[in-house]
Amino acid sequence: MLKVAMFGAGGMGTNHARAYARMPGVAVVGVMDHNRDAADRLADAVGARGFTSAGEMFDTISFDIVDVCVPTPWHAEYVCLAAEREVAGIVVEKPMGRTIEDCDRMIEACQRRKIPLFPAHVLRFFPEFAAARRQVDSGVIGDVASVRTRRGGPFPRAWENWYGKPSLSGGVILDLIIHDFDWLRWTFGEVDRVFARCLSAGKHEVDKDYALVTLRFRSGVVGHVEGTWADPGGFKVGIEVAGREGLIELNFNQPASPAFTAAISGPVGAGPGVAVPENPTAESPYYLELEHFISSIRSGTPPAITAEDGRAAVQIAAAALESAETGRPVHIV
Amino acid sequence: MGVKIGIMSMAHMHAYSYADAVRSMPNAELAGIADHDTDRAIETATTFETTAFARYADLLRTDIDAVIIGSENVRHRELCEMAADAGKHVLCEKPLATSVEDGQAMIAACRKRQVQLMTAFPCRFSPAMGRLRTTVIDGAAGSILAIRGTNRGRCPFGWFVQTELSGGGAVIDHTVHVTDLMRWLTGSEVVEVYAEISNRMFGQDFDDTGFLNLRFANGVFASLDTSWSRPKSFPTWGDVTMAVVCDRGTLTLDMFAQNLVLYSDKSGATSWSHWGDNIDRLMLEAFVSAIADGQPVPITGEDGLRAAEVALAAYRSAETGEPVVL
Ligand SMILES: NC(=O)c1ccc[n+]([C@@H]2O[C@H](COP(=O)([O-])OP(=O)(O)OC[C@H]3O[C@@H](n4cnc5c(N)ncnc54)[C@H](O)[C@@H]3O)[C@@H](O)[C@H]2O)c1
Repeated sequence: MLKVAMFGAGGMGTNHARAYARMPGVAVVGVMDHNRDAADRLADAVGARGFTSAGEMFDTISFDIVDVCVPTPWHAEYVCLAAEREVAGIVVEKPMGRTIEDCDRMIEACQRRKIPLFPAHVLRFFPEFAAARRQVDSGVIGDVASVRTRRGGPFPRAWENWYGKPSLSGGVILDLIIHDFDWLRWTFGEVDRVFARCLSAGKHEVDKDYALVTLRFRSGVVGHVEGTWADPGGFKVGIEVAGREGLIELNFNQPASPAFTAAISGPVGAGPGVAVPENPTAESPYYLELEHFISSIRSGTPPAITAEDGRAAVQIAAAALESAETGRPVHIV
Repeated sequence: MGVKIGIMSMAHMHAYSYADAVRSMPNAELAGIADHDTDRAIETATTFETTAFARYADLLRTDIDAVIIGSENVRHRELCEMAADAGKHVLCEKPLATSVEDGQAMIAACRKRQVQLMTAFPCRFSPAMGRLRTTVIDGAAGSILAIRGTNRGRCPFGWFVQTELSGGGAVIDHTVHVTDLMRWLTGSEVVEVYAEISNRMFGQDFDDTGFLNLRFANGVFASLDTSWSRPKSFPTWGDVTMAVVCDRGTLTLDMFAQNLVLYSDKSGATSWSHWGDNIDRLMLEAFVSAIADGQPVPITGEDGLRAAEVALAAYRSAETGEPVVL
């Protein structure tokens, strides 16, 4: 039995804990959150104990895996704390850290004890994104000239409006389209330079954000990433890759029509029913990413996403943030 | 008796659509086609049942009121100056010019002879675009903060990729339409341009990929994809799209998304068959009625020049790797 200790009982902490709870041979044993109610509620739901301090949790229970799902600026603190213990592996939500320095601290702390650190870039486990990469790799569209992605929807409301504070979340560039940065780097290789503009640049607190980021890859491929927290019309993602011999796209040119929809009218007098579109897959990508890490720990093989990958994605986002601040292109060395 | 229109060069494929539109209008008449390519003049004059002229001067000597310039981009200036000298109003295909100097000369020539100069930006006449603009003006969404635009297409090849005739590749071909729409929507001018430009799509000496980033005087920022990135197998020629991010929401435009999907065993292909309005015709109606009524044309030479300047700045930015200030 692999025992998991969780940090953070918000949206992502809940998602991860519930995935572990139904994974064979895995149990969540502790949930730590500053908010007592949140810690206890999630702990109860997955059969664990709730804590409000890391020290108390470490002193009270034993565990093998640590999973850090607190807001981004505290990732490094908990990862480094956990790395002082004899743990078998650490999962850290994306973005791996608020800054490159944070990432370096975590990498160093984990390397010292040879602890695998897994940045949870879940997009690699989304079947459509994995398939798009496979298609590009297969050469079916020839050499790639350009790639566009887009991601986003309404502004996320969460603990203390931390998403709305760029100093904490990094805005859409660090928090949201880091997903795309990681997928793009995984698919098209290293990025050479970045030019970006975003609404949250230089602001203390925002209730929306929007970013347009242009990338030049070392290979010469040109990329564009659009990220929005300003679209009340619902969450959308899209990919478009243009090559010499064809084009691959997802939700860009063709209207997205999900594999399943339910439009059910409510009881008489209750107003219109709510349509719930879904693209059901056999297993959730969040479950698949955590299962992948757990099995890599069990078999002693390195996980498919390394801490260096997590750092590299933060580096692209940091370059974009710098470009948005300065109005100049930023080169990644 | 309607407005008599001559066409100066059918080099650009849009000229065919304009010829069709003029012929279908009750208040206009296609009075002749002149072309430096005499065979093309004769052939197209036959198709459109009008008179062929081997020399532009001969067309301009007739009693036409206005001309449509459909030549290769670098010839716009010469033809425009000839038409202005002959006292004919001008509707010029985009991009207005391939240098700022040429564009300014065209505007000056028309002003001097007191003829009107309109730039052919049919996208302003799209009903969907109209809805977008009235929604912005109406104010419910709040003010505009940022815009993401695309205008992609298949590579047209021919003279479009001979830069000595076109003035550039995809960037000069596709920057101007959506730049003009953005200027029209925001009521503001582009003050800074950054661009990543490449030729990886075809690997030849013309640019086929252009990702522009624009900043407007009022603070709005925008990006624009101008690439010839639609493969031959794409179901239609290309697109014009915008996402307009405002204080209270996002407005989106997919200008040509009014299609039937056609699955054809005859062609072995799936294609989109457009059922929306013919915006070329809507543009020509506006041009003709302005000329007929002696009213100002709705889109000016200055509009054309401002948009062309953005494309030219994009090339400079790609050369230097730095944003270019206008
Ligand atoms: N992979 C994805 O798709 C995805 C989606 C959403 C969020 N995330 C990432 O997950 C992380 C958490 O985001 P979320 O949406 O779950 O946030 P949230 O606001 O829903 O939850 C954060 C929780 O952390 C607690 N907390 C805050 N500071 C703490 C601290 N210093 N110590 C202990 N607990 C603390 C809060 O009480 C709250 O319960 C972020 O890094 C975010 O970027 C990833």
